[in-house]
Amino acid sequence: MIETIYVEKAIKNHPRTKLILEKFKKSRIISINKYGEIFNKRNQNFRIQKTNPCLILAYKKDSFVLPAPKGFGIGSSNNFYFSHMYNCIYDCRYCFLQGMYSSANYVVFVNFEDFDNAIKKTIKNNNGSKITFFSGYDCDSLALENVTGFAKHILSFFKTYSQIEIEFRTKSIQKEPFLSMKPMQNVILAYSLMPELMSNSLDNKAPSISKRIRVISELASKGWKIGLRFDPLIFGQNWKELYRELLENIFKNITPNNLHSVSFGSLRFPKKMFKNIFKLYPKEPLFTSPFSLNNKMISYDIEIEEEMTSFCKNLSLKYINEDQIFKCSI
Amino acid sequence: MNNLKIKKTSIRWVVALKEEAQIILEYFKLKAVDEKTIYPIYKNEEETHWLIISGIGRSNASASTAYLYLYSKASKCTSWINVGIVGSDKGNYGDLFLVDKISTDQGKKSTYPSTMPKTSLPKMHLYTSDIPITDYSTHELIDMEGSAFFDIASKLTSKEFICLIKVISDGPKNSIKEITKSKISNLIKDNLTKIIDVVSYYERLSEEEFQIKEKPKLFYDITSKWHFTATQSYKLETLLRRVEVFCNKRDLKEIIKSCETSNSVINVLNSKIKKNIVNWSKF
Repeated sequence: MIETIYVEKAIKNHPRTKLILEKFKKSRIISINKYGEIFNKRNQNFRIQKTNPCLILAYKKDSFVLPAPKGFGIGSSNNFYFSHMYNCIYDCRYCFLQGMYSSANYVVFVNFEDFDNAIKKTIKNNNGSKITFFSGYDCDSLALENVTGFAKHILSFFKTYSQIEIEFRTKSIQKEPFLSMKPMQNVILAYSLMPELMSNSLDNKAPSISKRIRVISELASKGWKIGLRFDPLIFGQNWKELYRELLENIFKNITPNNLHSVSFGSLRFPKKMFKNIFKLYPKEPLFTSPFSLNNKMISYDIEIEEEMTSFCKNLSLKYINEDQIFKCSI
Repeated sequence: MNNLKIKKTSIRWVVALKEEAQIILEYFKLKAVDEKTIYPIYKNEEETHWLIISGIGRSNASASTAYLYLYSKASKCTSWINVGIVGSDKGNYGDLFLVDKISTDQGKKSTYPSTMPKTSLPKMHLYTSDIPITDYSTHELIDMEGSAFFDIASKLTSKEFICLIKVISDGPKNSIKEITKSKISNLIKDNLTKIIDVVSYYERLSEEEFQIKEKPKLFYDITSKWHFTATQSYKLETLLRRVEVFCNKRDLKEIIKSCETSNSVINVLNSKIKKNIVNWSKF
């Protein structure tokens, strides 16, 4: 239940604003000039806001499509991302959003058509090269789909660009709009995963791993391309057994033909971001891990990172080809 | 300031009139402070609740809020409450509202206080004016202090710790000229249960935040035994917070007792963390 919705005056009559507000008849609507009046201002408490986040409906003016950071990709030469939303309904303790924003409220941009135009322009400017777009960098791309309808909108856009890949990165078990559509070969539904035991402690408010695997299996069986994202890899007692069990369980449940790619990423926080997150949750077990500071990044010791990546990669090679495996190294 | 002396619950009240404050002073057993102060200040015996009588108007509200902050040594964990009467034609005489938007006649941008979650108490927008207004038609709630209180309080703490509670005292059917001291006192008194309910939420918030921010107990023991520079103190505090999650105080004392310098304490704690492999089945 979202108690309060802030709406920018400029988009109060936008059809998508009206459509979204229809779904929250009991919420209190407050008119604002710009989303910046509420979002990411100083002197806000992310942890407290997270217990009862508000929704902000806004108009995005620029920076619709941005180059993905180096090391964030699945084989294309050019990677871009876009975010129709800032923040996430889940509360994962390793998430960089909690250290990046001072506000936990959700911002949803309603001018989807401007994203379409920016994507079109990016495709045109990169004519001839292999491009992948990533949806869900500053949010979970599907978690609020039943409210925003963004995935449904952008899928219809990418139907006309069948050579261009789009990845939806998510922890959601939202199956629509995919079940009601014919599978698209340029769409990758990428699920973030980790052993259930770790997820139970770290992926607050997110669907359980077993539920995610059931949905992955169902969507794969319908012909949708699946991406498996073990990002971040989490260290702890019995990690080898836990990851072995997880990987075997997943590969057993997915038809290999519909597995697009697997990627592994290390747990990394820029130093300042780690400081912010640690201040919010100092008693978090994750932060009792053996971290090191390297090049202004807080991460597990390099030996741990390498051992985990190579262990999981070797296990995956039993089921998929090497060219389907990627390392996320941002 | 010695952090050990910070009280776990910390509430600061900013109230314009003595009549508005009367029932709050009685309920929370607040007594005037002994010293002579610029604005009248009251506190309870435990020093968890402090109240200042600001007087009317934006300047008084700003100055008294800042003054109370300094005088009472409020912290980032302190919750700030403004209670007062307002004019309105959108509600009935005696109705209580929480404020979730504030605008002013200064032409400045509006501000947006958070309100306590999951409450059935109604919310309205507040307009803070520098002069008394009797045309109630263009605004929901009208007062003379709210925006100034919020502007200053939001520099002192996060906005989630600030609350404005308003009770309607005048409107088209209840002339502002008919307001008397006893009517004001009764308006707040009649809403006391609701006010206590709201304040108890902010007490909890303050206490929870205090527990998160509170330095580990061992920090004081250790810094009294070894000398730590400011940078080392920060490192020590962070390390202790992390180690305390998986190691008890007695064991920690044991492992550092033979350390000769502050550096060696830090090194010992560091190596304790380096060896820690999280047992996720425990959490």
